[in-house]
Amino acid sequence: MDTVIKTRNLVKRFGRVQALDGLDLKVSAGEVHGFLGPNGSGKSTTIRVLLGLARSSSGSAAVFGQDPWNDAVELHRRIGYVPGDVNLWPNLSGGEAIDLISRLRGGTADKAYYAARKSRLTEVFQFDPTKKGRTYSKGNRQKVALIAAFATPAELYILDEPTSGLDPIMEAVFNQEIAHAAAAGSTVLLSSHILSEVEQLCSRVTIIRAGRTVESGSLAELRHLTRTEISFAAEGISQEQLAHIPASHDLTVAAGRVRFSVGSDKINAVLPVLATLDVQGLTVNPPSLEELFLRHYGEELAADGVKATAR
Amino acid sequence: MSTLSVLLRQRARRDRWQLTIWIAGIGLLAVVSASAVAQTYGDYAGRENILRLAIANPSILMLRGTPQGGRLDAFVFFEIFTFLALLAGFMSTFLAVRHSRAEEESGRAEMIAATPAARTTPTVATLIHGFLANVVLGGVVALAFTAGRLDAYGSVVTGAAVAATGVCFLGVGLPAAQFMRTSRGANAVAAGAVGLAYVVRGLGDALGRPGADGIHLTPAWTSWLSPIGWGQQTGAYASNNLTPLLLSAALAAVCLVALFLLQAHRDSGASLLAGRAGRVNARGDLSGPLTLAWRLQLPTIIGWCIGGAATGLLAGTLSKLAEQAASADPTVTKVLRDMDQGGGGSVDQLLISVMFSLVGVLAAACSTQTVIRMRQEETAGTAELILTAPVDRTRWFGDYLLLGTAAIVLVLFSGAVVSSLSALAVGGDPARVGDSFAAAVAQLPAALVYLGVLALLFVLLPGLTISLGWTLVGIGVFLGFFGALLGVPEWARNLSPFTHTPVPVGGSTDWSDGAWMLVIALAAAAVAVAVMRQRELKPN
Repeated sequence: MDTVIKTRNLVKRFGRVQALDGLDLKVSAGEVHGFLGPNGSGKSTTIRVLLGLARSSSGSAAVFGQDPWNDAVELHRRIGYVPGDVNLWPNLSGGEAIDLISRLRGGTADKAYYAARKSRLTEVFQFDPTKKGRTYSKGNRQKVALIAAFATPAELYILDEPTSGLDPIMEAVFNQEIAHAAAAGSTVLLSSHILSEVEQLCSRVTIIRAGRTVESGSLAELRHLTRTEISFAAEGISQEQLAHIPASHDLTVAAGRVRFSVGSDKINAVLPVLATLDVQGLTVNPPSLEELFLRHYGEELAADGVKATAR
Repeated sequence: MSTLSVLLRQRARRDRWQLTIWIAGIGLLAVVSASAVAQTYGDYAGRENILRLAIANPSILMLRGTPQGGRLDAFVFFEIFTFLALLAGFMSTFLAVRHSRAEEESGRAEMIAATPAARTTPTVATLIHGFLANVVLGGVVALAFTAGRLDAYGSVVTGAAVAATGVCFLGVGLPAAQFMRTSRGANAVAAGAVGLAYVVRGLGDALGRPGADGIHLTPAWTSWLSPIGWGQQTGAYASNNLTPLLLSAALAAVCLVALFLLQAHRDSGASLLAGRAGRVNARGDLSGPLTLAWRLQLPTIIGWCIGGAATGLLAGTLSKLAEQAASADPTVTKVLRDMDQGGGGSVDQLLISVMFSLVGVLAAACSTQTVIRMRQEETAGTAELILTAPVDRTRWFGDYLLLGTAAIVLVLFSGAVVSSLSALAVGGDPARVGDSFAAAVAQLPAALVYLGVLALLFVLLPGLTISLGWTLVGIGVFLGFFGALLGVPEWARNLSPFTHTPVPVGGSTDWSDGAWMLVIALAAAAVAVAVMRQRELKPN
């Protein structure tokens, strides 16, 4: 089985609200797939459909080739899930919640193996399992779900903005665990709006907006569509010289620096010109997902009065 | 605008429907009962007769009040005041907890406390809000009784007594919210205090000393321990004495002093009862939806079982008393029989049956709370953690139905066991053991109807589960227990499951209604399970 997740023209309506409007998503076995979109674009709804918590209004969705609504129980044996907003039972300790979820998932059959995994994860995530659910902060509640998800090996991990409450150190730990899982051959669907995280972890990305897929492909493919940002010291460089730089966009001179962007496939044409200008303090920023992201949502942001230039 | 007035408006706005329904509902009950009593017991001699019978029988006094003569308005006060006061108490404690502990639990209180309103102003706002709500309630009750052609001044006294009881329990609810960590716990403690006040004054009436004319009663000293008892002591329409309400005011004042002292020493969101550290690893039995639901719901079930046991205790001990009363006055038997719609049995059998109909209400309420818990799990997002594991949603749902059934059985069982033991302890007839268990079994179908029907509502109209759940219990109790008294037409009374509860008294017990209710409960549950198969998780 090559394709792990496949949705075609997925539509989900809640009353009059159209949460998903023909969403296409394809995740192949073994890949770490970034699922990007702004708040309210339908990421969580898609995930709820994939987990059989909600039923699609039309279109198709398949996980491991099975119907997520009808075969939910069977599929869940192969899936580890971290919700975007983790809520715990107020009077159960974190350790108890982890054990409960793991037992439900059948991950505790080999007791010693499970205990070892649980204690390793508790340690790397620096988590105190003795507190009651109501006393944990958002980040700590998320750790409960993360530890429970990783303590039982899964073929597919579905993670809904799993790091939104974690500090940078814990984010690094999380990245490590994803790398472990990917190395073990698991497939990961990672929903996020933190682009650096997705750039670091994901090999392929799907970007959605208002319930529709707007872009999908490998990072390299997507980068092709974006611009590289170049800047250098402005001292001793005339306007006329700047006008000679080919294929430049949005050129500005401010705070003693010249900045402009250039299509990523045009860089080779720009570099010799920069050499002849003998520029100082040159920085070249590779295209980022952020830029791509902002380009897709630029119109929306502009309408809201936010300046939509990349970086 | 001052922070206080902003918070007051917010509270008024948030409660505008809830309080309107509470206050209008209680007012309506007052109007209806005044006119119904006038119709049903129109002549003085008839009322005198009823009072004589009531005084001879403790279980009637327990559920009604203190007889104070055969005047129509005094008779209305005897029939309905304690119930109005009970409702005012519930309205006030729920209001107190809703605006204090529940807010802290949700984290909203923190947002407010970070503004210049700080920690104290929200409490003051809740206090004023609750006080005003009770003043309005008192006014509405006074108007309602006056409109029902009762004496105007007496009606004002009644309104004041209802309001004072409410304010008193507002005072009890706020410190309870300081002590308890969860709003569920705070509600349980505060509402438990209201229930206790009702029972304590009930004991006072049941054990009171009849006057020489047989239509007056001086309640025993325990009535003076209960805020509802203080309201009764005003003797509205008879002696019209407002002095006992000073006790309510005093208790409220003491509670408020305690409240502000407690609050001054407490972190926002923290409880005065320290939380214990939890386990690192779960015990072996916490491994599925059923054991989880059991673990979550156990404290609540224990609470209702204690209620069942306490009622059982009354049933067991009072039955002996009733027997003695009955041998002195044969008409008592007739009254009890009318209340119970049953065929010939002994007085103590009848009394046990009446008391167990209360245990049946507790069991129905307990099962209602089980379904409500399921809904709360769904809205809190914790159900999602279970249902994204390999757990079938119908299995999850079915486990809650199983738990609800077990809860019903446990509440009834604790009532039956305690009733049997206490009957034996006071030297009652050993046959009371069998009567107690038969009476408990008879309550099973009505409670199961509540479970099945609410489960069906959970599946079809999840957003209304919580509000409809309690409303259905309230309506069922009203129609089943007060319907006949208030002249509610028979078809309406027949809507209440409690109306159909079998009465296992005497030789031939008619179980057919019970069997029908079982069929209804099972059918509702079966449809619910079938629909659940196709139902999405609906957190909102």
